[in-house]
Amino acid sequence: MEQALVAEAREAPRTADLAFDRLYRSSRDDVYAYVASLLRDAAAAEEVTAAAFERAYRKRNRFDPERGEPRAWLFGIARNAALDELRRRGRHAELTAEPADLDSLGAEEGAERSERRLAVSAALERLGPGERELIALKFFAGLENREIARVLGISESNAGTKLHRAMTKLREACDGNA
Amino acid sequence: METPENRNDQLAEDLRALRPTPHPQFAAELDKRAAAGFPRRSRPRRLSFSLPRRPSRRLLLPAGGLAVIAIVGVLVTTNESEQEPANGAAVLGLLNAESSPEDAPEAAGGAAGEPAPQIENYQGATEAAAAGNAASPLSFAGQGRPNRAVERNAELVLGADPADVADDSSKVFEAVHAHDGIVMSSSTREGEPGVAGARFVLLIPSAKLSDALAALSGVDEVRTRHEATDDITAPTVQTGELLQDSKARIDSLLAQLEATETESEREAVEGELAAERRHRARLRSQLQNLERRADYSRVLVRIETGGTHDSSGGAWGVDDALGDAGHILAIAAAIAVVSLAILGPIALIALLAWLTHRAWLRRERRRVLG
Repeated sequence: MEQALVAEAREAPRTADLAFDRLYRSSRDDVYAYVASLLRDAAAAEEVTAAAFERAYRKRNRFDPERGEPRAWLFGIARNAALDELRRRGRHAELTAEPADLDSLGAEEGAERSERRLAVSAALERLGPGERELIALKFFAGLENREIARVLGISESNAGTKLHRAMTKLREACDGNA
Repeated sequence: METPENRNDQLAEDLRALRPTPHPQFAAELDKRAAAGFPRRSRPRRLSFSLPRRPSRRLLLPAGGLAVIAIVGVLVTTNESEQEPANGAAVLGLLNAESSPEDAPEAAGGAAGEPAPQIENYQGATEAAAAGNAASPLSFAGQGRPNRAVERNAELVLGADPADVADDSSKVFEAVHAHDGIVMSSSTREGEPGVAGARFVLLIPSAKLSDALAALSGVDEVRTRHEATDDITAPTVQTGELLQDSKARIDSLLAQLEATETESEREAVEGELAAERRHRARLRSQLQNLERRADYSRVLVRIETGGTHDSSGGAWGVDDALGDAGHILAIAAAIAVVSLAILGPIALIALLAWLTHRAWLRRERRRVLG
């Protein structure tokens, strides 16, 4: 009995490590995408993404599953790290973004699609930082509405409403561009 | 036909396509760091000159604890050192009680007088007065040099095995003689631990007191040692002046005696002269006594056997252990109260500062996003 308890205690850190490893593998690119959309600076995004994972790793034993999903917890950490970085640099999210990488749109894709995506990218620029963040959390990071609500500290319905408004605004901006 | 649902799906697809992707090299490096358990990186210095590193939180708590212990230690030490003069006064009282009856008024006057400074440069001004010189003892004080008569007393308690009491007593005598001291009284008792012991009342030349105490301390284990001083300058100078007055009065009476013409006048003057001479003899004795008190220090040496506590009268037992435990608990409680009094407000301030910082940080983060 005692041996089993000791073995369980020894297993506990390993369980946390394994869980974190899974979280890292499933979220690395999502966290980067979200942070990059907030900072709009690839080098800073890399730095902050690494710092966020490092911070999360150090706090992994303090994660409480009853307070939310691991991804929401991780994105909360990443969000704070990104906002702190913006605050430190005295930069605001409204600052001019790096020019969109046209190559990433894919040369093989149709001209119409490329043009449409450029319009979406330009429309995104015209959104407010809060709206851009919502869209980044939803479409870049792939979070569910309840996870977005947890990250932003608002209710799920409020998150859904805000996201709907942001999408409407984006669509209108796209139409305006067109 | 393009429906709103189709347009939404298309927009979502376009947004996903715009998703920033990490550089493969960065992703590979991050994977490596993740596999290594995210070892801490050395952050690049933001300033060209080096600033002292902020102490980590792990170090702050022990450092704070040490600071509190140091403060409490200093407070306790200061408190104990403040109590020392009281102990010294008790010793002085003990030794004064053993003085001769005629010393008592002076001792009482000295104790009630000014605080005794530890200046011992009394130069025998009163000797001049006693010898009948014209110079007043007060005239020495006017020369700008400290002329103080200071009486010093000491009490030394030594701990010894019952078998060693006799040897230790011999060593006490040797030490006294080696320093030209006088053994005023001594008593030695043999027997069981706690019963056996010895007691010595000594007079040691004040100039050799320190050496003598050092020698006596080497006789056996020192349990307690107290020293006290008492400034007896005022009564000494006053007695010297009275002695001078008395001499002048005698001279005057002698002159009157020579000038007497009748037998009755002569007898009257002789009577006054005899009374004045007795008065002068008393004053001289009083002055010599004061001088002796300044020149010789009274030392009480006790050799004890058994426990270290006088009150126990025997070996250290359960009562003593309980007493010690209570004492230690009282000290621990006092330290805890003092620590709490210091740490409580600090913790409260730290908590308020942390809450304020947190609220400010949240506000700043919200502000960053407009």
